Amino acid sequence: MESGAGGDIEKEQSSGCRIIKRGLEMEENVAKEKMSQLEWYITKHCLWQYNSRGWDRLIQNERILTKTKQILNGENAKEDDSTSDRYYWSEAMSLSRAFKKYFPWLEETSKEDIAQILNLLKERMDHTMVHASLNKELTKQQY
Amino acid sequence: MPYHQFKCSECIPERLEHAVDKGEGEDLTHALPLGYLNTIPGTISERGCAYCGAKHVIGTPMKDVIHLSHGPVGCTYDTWQTKRYISDDGNFQLKYTFASDMKEAHVVFGAEKMLKKNIVEAFKAFPKINSMTLYQTCASALIGDDMNAIAEEVMEEMPGKKVFVCNSPGFAGPSQSGGHHKINMAWLNQMVGTAEPEIYSKYVINYIGEYNIQGDQELMKDYFHRMGIQILATFTGNGRFDDLRCLHKAQLNVLECARSAEYICDELRVRYGIPRMDIDGFGFEATADSLRKIGYFFGIEDKAEEIIAEEYARWKPELDWYAARLQGVKMCLWPGGSKLWHWAHMLKAEMGINVVSVYTKFGHQGDMEKGVSRCEPGALAIDDPNELESLEAMYELKPDLIMTGKRPGEVAKKIRVPYLNVHGYHNGPYKGFEGWVRLARDIYNCVYSPVHKLTLLDISKDEIPTGKGFETPQSYSDLNLSDDIKHASDLRQCTSDYDPIPRLRAKAESNVYTFPHPETGEWRVVPVETLRKSKVVDVE
Repeated sequence: MESGAGGDIEKEQSSGCRIIKRGLEMEENVAKEKMSQLEWYITKHCLWQYNSRGWDRLIQNERILTKTKQILNGENAKEDDSTSDRYYWSEAMSLSRAFKKYFPWLEETSKEDIAQILNLLKERMDHTMVHASLNKELTKQQY
Repeated sequence: MPYHQFKCSECIPERLEHAVDKGEGEDLTHALPLGYLNTIPGTISERGCAYCGAKHVIGTPMKDVIHLSHGPVGCTYDTWQTKRYISDDGNFQLKYTFASDMKEAHVVFGAEKMLKKNIVEAFKAFPKINSMTLYQTCASALIGDDMNAIAEEVMEEMPGKKVFVCNSPGFAGPSQSGGHHKINMAWLNQMVGTAEPEIYSKYVINYIGEYNIQGDQELMKDYFHRMGIQILATFTGNGRFDDLRCLHKAQLNVLECARSAEYICDELRVRYGIPRMDIDGFGFEATADSLRKIGYFFGIEDKAEEIIAEEYARWKPELDWYAARLQGVKMCLWPGGSKLWHWAHMLKAEMGINVVSVYTKFGHQGDMEKGVSRCEPGALAIDDPNELESLEAMYELKPDLIMTGKRPGEVAKKIRVPYLNVHGYHNGPYKGFEGWVRLARDIYNCVYSPVHKLTLLDISKDEIPTGKGFETPQSYSDLNLSDDIKHASDLRQCTSDYDPIPRLRAKAESNVYTFPHPETGEWRVVPVETLRKSKVVDVE
């Protein structure tokens, strides 16, 4: 129980930190600028965002970028040992490794700010690759 | 939308939306050419047909197969496998091509009897070959010959022989890409799941969209085997007919050319739950990332890192020698469908080359999304250009070289633009670490060859210099280099063999590859005979 109590205290402490942190939350334009750096990396190096159908792209963006966020924040990003989950995790591992290599500022960025940047990134990828895409094949029903 | 108006195409207004200039600060929501549409009347396209896309690109790299076209002999001749899709067992698929040789009388009275006779004749002429791919052409499609029925009859009468039928006549799509789609789906529906493979490793992949151009597949295979990964089948370069019937048994589909083969990956994912992992096998960083990613999937990233470290140590000093001399070179990157996006960024990042234009003859908008994203602002992206547009682009952009196929390449040479063949390759393989150095060397030799200076002279009017000494590529490339780089002892020119493939095959012969047992996980040598031809059992 002690450890449990300790955990609660930690939670409270960390929760307290978050409240303070919220006050200092990364300004949106700064977050967007950092997000655009990550987006640049994806456009130049990755292929997973280009699956040929819009619904497929949304799933790819969601699964890979969520796991990337979790990995960058030191959280568990594996849901199960299915080949499908392993695939998304592998892409996310590769992406988070490259992000850390290309953008050393990530090491000094708080979990909350990383989450904010990655959420913006996911929105941006959905927008560019699906919702505002000029690719007319995205809405075809069959592969 | 920054469409690019070619002067030569002002009379074909529909062409306008097929070319865009990538502007500074613009993304894919601003700029994307149309793609995969019927060729516009009045513009002479450089495309192939859907029959060609099915047979030439995807079917015929299979190595132990009689590839027979049911149609006039010209269709067969023009898709005879000349693209250096080599195999490791004698290149049967390059040496022979087969046609039913339809004539007018067959068009009038039907050609099924003649087709059956030809199939039987071909099998009897090559008794060791037990499989056949049979391709429909425009002529046989229009008269309605039932090729599937003939194939069934032959298989019944000749036990042990297998015939795959591909109904993809030339008119069945805007370009060869229509044929890629049709043969993907036909193979999946007719052949996948009809056999069970021998599994000898814990880690099993299919290598999809890889055609072994001058040995590309064999370079990558070396890396995969060093990681202990079994390649169940390669779709289709250096591929065995029977292995490709077992695609459903892999744990992962590793996809290179998504343009030609994403369909089968997507369907294998839907029907069999096998994930699709797109990779880039061109460029140091891209290849390393790809190996690492596959390593993560199987939990063997340490194996990937070992290979990456070894390959960087062996080849990076050679890449850097060329990179120092290729900075700022202007290139039109005009390959077929996938290399424009495989290469655009890596050429810039690892060789310093400015890709000023990308084009694709048969790519879809998805290919242009990748290509436009991966090149720099200012680049001109063209879908399905005609010859006049290509010429206008070269005159306008003044590239130092173009990388393309042999037809547009010959056009470039006529206006004195150096050209490198990136369809069949000049001196490939170009994949992997060693291959990327070979490409850098070929680009260097192409750009700096002294012969290009001579081609700019018109012997009918220009004075031909006779007092100059012998010149070498380095006379030009090192002109403005600093002494530090010129004399750098840690950089060197390409030391790859004239043909590296015999070395790789000899390596396999010496039984150096170990694989973890699928059940016990114990690492042991798997003999080369198994690597080349593992057991396959028919499923009733």
